[in-house]
Amino acid sequence: MRKNWISALALAGAIAFANGASAQTIELAVDGSPAGLDPHIVTAFNSVQVVSGTIYESLTMIDKDLRTVPGLAESWQISADNLTYTFRLRGGVAFHDGKPAEAADVVASLKRVMSSAIASPLASRLASVADATAPDARTVVVTLKEPTAPLLTALASIAIVPRGFEADKDGLQRAPMGTGPFKFKEWQPNGFIALEKNAGYWDKAKPRVDGVKFNIVPESATRQVGLTSGQYQILPNIDAATALQLRGRPNVRLVDTLELAYTLIGMNVSKPPFDNPKVREALNYALNRPEIVQAALFGAGVPGGSLSPALKDWAVDVASFPCFRHDPAKAQALLREAGITAPIAITLLVLPRQDIRDIAQVVQQQLNRAGFRVELRIPEIGQFVQDWRNSNFDAFASTNAGSTDPDDYYYRTFRTGGSTNVFKYSNPELDTLLDTGRRETAMPARKAAYDRAQAILACQGPAATLTYGQLYTATRNNVQGFDIIANRSLMSLSNVVLGR
Amino acid sequence: MSRNFLVTRIVDLAIVLIGVSMLTFLMIRLVPGDAVAIMLGANAEVTVERMNELRARLGLDQPIPVQYAQWLGNALRGDFGNSLWTGKPVVQEIAVHLPPTLQLAGLSLLLGAGLAVPLGVAMARLRGGWRETALQIASVVGLTVPSFWLGIMMILALTSLAPELQLLGYVPFTEDPAGNIARFLLPAIALALPILANLARLVRSAMLDALAQDYVRTARAKGVSERSVLFKHALRNALIPFVTSVGIMTGYLLGGAIVVEQVFAIPGLGRLILGAISERNYPLLQTAILLVTSGFVLVNFAVDLLYAIIDPRVRLEADQ
Repeated sequence: MRKNWISALALAGAIAFANGASAQTIELAVDGSPAGLDPHIVTAFNSVQVVSGTIYESLTMIDKDLRTVPGLAESWQISADNLTYTFRLRGGVAFHDGKPAEAADVVASLKRVMSSAIASPLASRLASVADATAPDARTVVVTLKEPTAPLLTALASIAIVPRGFEADKDGLQRAPMGTGPFKFKEWQPNGFIALEKNAGYWDKAKPRVDGVKFNIVPESATRQVGLTSGQYQILPNIDAATALQLRGRPNVRLVDTLELAYTLIGMNVSKPPFDNPKVREALNYALNRPEIVQAALFGAGVPGGSLSPALKDWAVDVASFPCFRHDPAKAQALLREAGITAPIAITLLVLPRQDIRDIAQVVQQQLNRAGFRVELRIPEIGQFVQDWRNSNFDAFASTNAGSTDPDDYYYRTFRTGGSTNVFKYSNPELDTLLDTGRRETAMPARKAAYDRAQAILACQGPAATLTYGQLYTATRNNVQGFDIIANRSLMSLSNVVLGR
Repeated sequence: MSRNFLVTRIVDLAIVLIGVSMLTFLMIRLVPGDAVAIMLGANAEVTVERMNELRARLGLDQPIPVQYAQWLGNALRGDFGNSLWTGKPVVQEIAVHLPPTLQLAGLSLLLGAGLAVPLGVAMARLRGGWRETALQIASVVGLTVPSFWLGIMMILALTSLAPELQLLGYVPFTEDPAGNIARFLLPAIALALPILANLARLVRSAMLDALAQDYVRTARAKGVSERSVLFKHALRNALIPFVTSVGIMTGYLLGGAIVVEQVFAIPGLGRLILGAISERNYPLLQTAILLVTSGFVLVNFAVDLLYAIIDPRVRLEADQ
């Protein structure tokens, strides 16, 4: 028996030397397995972060400063009536199988997303597209039903795939094929996804390493140990709690940025008590947002309104909204005005995610001190999604994804009949503003519309926005060239090199 | 071991599997939130029509009994369907995830059961000393320490002692035998410890029982050596409950494997099943559960056989 132990330990020692296989592969550890790798079908984050900007590219892209910049399209012209976009494609771009990426592939990709056979959740982003054509190999013409200001931003999320997948629902799920700096090599489900360098990438300076490996490691403590011991070089997009534990560890570096996604208390305005705007306003006054940031986010975040402060061109300072000042007395006065005297009982449906749970508990205490009696209901994720979709709640605590264009924040969420308007909110004035913001392409006109929209939504809207968290990425000291991007994209991996 | 015995067993197995498949099917579908809702997640900008299109695409728009009948019909023809998420054949997905779990469970059982016998015998022999108390305390600790905590502690200890060791994740044995075994050591220990504690306590009490029997006194009176008394007379009888427990442990192993696979990032069956539940990946879950159930039933069948070998009385009953 003892002999066996000794030999086993000797074997363990041998591992240390068995690791020199490829010196320049970036090892990342991520928490969840992707649901598949077809960029038009899976929108779950675990899949998107693996493929977006690494395997796949789009006509436009979002850079680290959150600007929409040329991607596979090197330039574009917009007609005077804002209904025709003519894109000029980059030359010398090829898919990973060596076939040139041409205008016909772009057209096929857009049409694939719009087709009901594929049933892509991204279709709504192209809802205003009337047609896409390819007059020649390097020109794509997109015509619109109506002017759509956020089109260029929306196109950044539509991956370009080779033509021929129009009716194929499974091919790309298993074996993705794009034009990006890395190509797909191997997927060991629940184990890892390995990408290798695309030697034929159009930007000759990239990628700077031979490969990227996404190790799927569900346990947070294990991911942290893997980073501190050097088995992994990058833990992308981690929360404040994890970042705190890694702070100050030798050879570990933290980079951070403000999130685009926000946490919120959503209210069902189709039934009492939140059908009354005064009750919604009271809830806002009852909240102490700085306290939520301190208690639930470890201080790593900021209170925020309906647009991320990271969108400097758009976000209005929340200090200008009176209800962002914590005032329980005012909350109770508003409840009395609404004819409510006894503490008002509400059930809060909580997204089963640790940070949201923590936030919900803090919110519960704050509201209970101001005339509410809150009961938390924390179901399993499937139950949550179902109740959320069916508006089966008084109020819910969750998180909403953000984007770089206000239209993405607002149109689907707050417009009458919007696809994620689970609050059942309907406000004609706001609808008009959101239509304007979508139709107008001139910045001042859009800005005016969205400034007003933020004011309408701030105190009596269906969502009491709470916080924008700080988003972190932890890397080893020898990782050079990594940029954290607020939309969680890992496209800067093509620029990473491992130092000594 | 008559033919009857075998036939009855096989019929039992079939009934259990049909029952389990129905139960699994019903249970996972009674849980709110279907595959499509989860696929799209909270906050996906998608219309109800689009969701229904997706459901139809995945065949989830049929009534549940119809879906079950279709699934069963296909399964009987050997077609277990495709994963809802990746589109890969379910059988392929399971084949990839099975080896790591078999290896983990096998190693843990070997460690746990293998060490339990000498440890249990030692505990039985050391009655009444401080050493017995120490072993007793150790075994209670072993029983109560959760595998996931032990796993994390071991990883922490090892990486602070030897940061250059890279022992997380999984490498197939065929690719790198040394790396594979080294990576399995810690998870196997984490999973084996509660088994070891449990079985050692069982061996101890069975040994004490056996040592108090008349035939042991007789043997001792005849001047048989203590070693022979322990190992030939007492242990053989003490092994009967031990073998039964090992059978029951296999069920526990899978439950423990889920946790240990999570901690050590091993891509095994436990994680596959866990993922299939949270993704509502019905075909994958159904088939994986069936496989596990068959495994469990077969192990218990093997235990019954072993029983007959160890304990002659069982054979007599079966033959009469």
